[in-house]
Amino acid sequence: MIGCLAILLAASPELTVSHRRVMTPDAISLAVYRYERPGAKVAPPVVLVPDVGFTRAAYDFEGRGLARSLAESGRTVFVAELRGQGKSGPGVSLEAMARDLDVVLDALEVQQVDLVVHGWAGSVVLAVNAEDPRIRRVIALDTPLLAEVPSTLAENFLLDGGRFSTLASSPAGAHAFELLFSMWSKFPTGTDRGFLATGTRDLSKPVAAELLAWMRSGDLPLASGSVVQRLTNWKKPTLLLVGLADGFASPELCAVWRERAGGSVKLRSFSRLETREDFSHLSLLLGSNAPAIVFPLVHDFLSRETP
Amino acid sequence: MRALLAIVLLCGCANLRVVPLPPEAEKHRPKTEDGWELSLVRYRPVGPVTGRPVLLCHGISANERNMDLDEGHSMARWLASQGREAWTMSLRATGASDGPDASKGRNLPIRFDHYWQHDLPTAINHVRKVSGADAIDYAGHSMGGMIVYAYLSQGGQGLHAVATMGSPTRLDWGTGLEQLIRTFGPTLANENVMLPSQFGAALTAPLQATFDDGPFQRFFYNPQSTLPETWQRLVLYGTADTAGGAAKQLLSLVETSRFTSADGTRDFRADMAKITTPVIVVAAKLDRVAPTPAVKDGYRSLGGPKRWLLITRANGTLGEYGHMDLVIGERAPDEVFRPVLDFFNQHEQPPRKN
Repeated sequence: MIGCLAILLAASPELTVSHRRVMTPDAISLAVYRYERPGAKVAPPVVLVPDVGFTRAAYDFEGRGLARSLAESGRTVFVAELRGQGKSGPGVSLEAMARDLDVVLDALEVQQVDLVVHGWAGSVVLAVNAEDPRIRRVIALDTPLLAEVPSTLAENFLLDGGRFSTLASSPAGAHAFELLFSMWSKFPTGTDRGFLATGTRDLSKPVAAELLAWMRSGDLPLASGSVVQRLTNWKKPTLLLVGLADGFASPELCAVWRERAGGSVKLRSFSRLETREDFSHLSLLLGSNAPAIVFPLVHDFLSRETP
Repeated sequence: MRALLAIVLLCGCANLRVVPLPPEAEKHRPKTEDGWELSLVRYRPVGPVTGRPVLLCHGISANERNMDLDEGHSMARWLASQGREAWTMSLRATGASDGPDASKGRNLPIRFDHYWQHDLPTAINHVRKVSGADAIDYAGHSMGGMIVYAYLSQGGQGLHAVATMGSPTRLDWGTGLEQLIRTFGPTLANENVMLPSQFGAALTAPLQATFDDGPFQRFFYNPQSTLPETWQRLVLYGTADTAGGAAKQLLSLVETSRFTSADGTRDFRADMAKITTPVIVVAAKLDRVAPTPAVKDGYRSLGGPKRWLLITRANGTLGEYGHMDLVIGERAPDEVFRPVLDFFNQHEQPPRKN
């Protein structure tokens, strides 16, 4: 009897995941997923945005990931697939994709949110929405401030149109995916290959070309300013988490943001030296040790009061 | 347990031996202006001369054998085979160079500043004098690259083109290790001692290839690129005691993120913008001693002309590289030394005789 009671008390209430569509003014349908645990809520909600070419699965793959972890802690979590991502409508411009965040926040009718972004999409989402007063704190995962001519492999991938489906179709493609997104990392069995098959979406040709041009030129011009300009003037409290083995958003392009932003960005980086695991683009989110090493830093940072 | 340890050590030792320098290695001992004899080894070019002499300098806790481990792992001998006169050097109190000796006026502390103010100029001038070249090329690994950054940033002369490999200019990258260094570094880095890193390395050399993914692999090299037995040899005779003064000075890279002279009056990183000597900056993707952001910081600080080279499979290498793989990797001649030499050659003009 006592044992049964203990089990009932220990069991966490069921996490619910719901889905809705949000329509942009230019008639692009966006997919937004809500994660919630019944009971007391910890404010504010958290909005998670995947990187270009990734889907909601970056935050919730086979029942694990940062979305569920944050929801389990009492936060209301939204994973927003912007245009070109996941099950949202097509996207042909990085800036247009980033502007979708404003539409999502309007639709959610939230006064304040914490934001989690990833990779190159993260950079442009933050740059475009830098002045949005609803964004309270930010977690930026492998989010570059600067860009540079990419590795031969990344360049070839983007010249080929950023087609993850091509990578998934051959051993050579899977090897390329490993070098760019999961190198030298530890994953639960099958995660990296499984994610390639189900957690990615081909870039549109214009977005692949725009991303490559961004990398080659060093900056992405925006309607107002550029990514470098806007992130250099960044003011919101931000924790930048960097996997030192990232082959797609190189750590040297991300870590420099801490210095350039002048105090608002805190930096934490990860390598095998101290964690027994190297972290790459994907393993920061879905690596075997991400729940023990990365997620607690996210929880801690987002649970702080903003002065 | 002791017996087991003894057996392991004996088994390891059986395969370990110091590989002597070859007969063609020519030993030199120039003296610094403050009284320290330095060990330099010269390899004359094999075949037609293709360019200037190249001086090679090792990193902290190391000696000249880092760049000249054996026939198959020697940047010096490889450069000589390509028609370049190549020189290795041991900084003061490392390798066959003079050690501290109070009776002869060679006192501690030895700081990083001694390396760039005395040792490097002495070696450069000696190579120029012996070879007759007005300016030479230079390749530095790890701290060997930092030394040349400091030297050039303060107006040092005599270098034509430079390569730095795994050379950081700040080390505060938000790792958990930083906190340990901040906590224990100041205590360990006593200016008035030589830290016994050579003894510790030699003692543990037989064990260092025993454990897959052990701390040495994780910190220093990647078995994708360096065979464990190669690493063991480097540990056996390529290491040196560490000058506490140099270690203490370099702690600022972690503690304050500054790369400065010991007295703080010279800001090397800021002054690197004045450098106009061509520099190729080489970084290894899986370097956990000098992570790529730490190396890139130096690249960004340079005035130019400059080139960035990231060694990674995504750029065509067959394996990933860690910190030491850049100089002792099994494929380093093709994947590291070759692009470095190509860079030197691109900036080559016929060397003038003094």
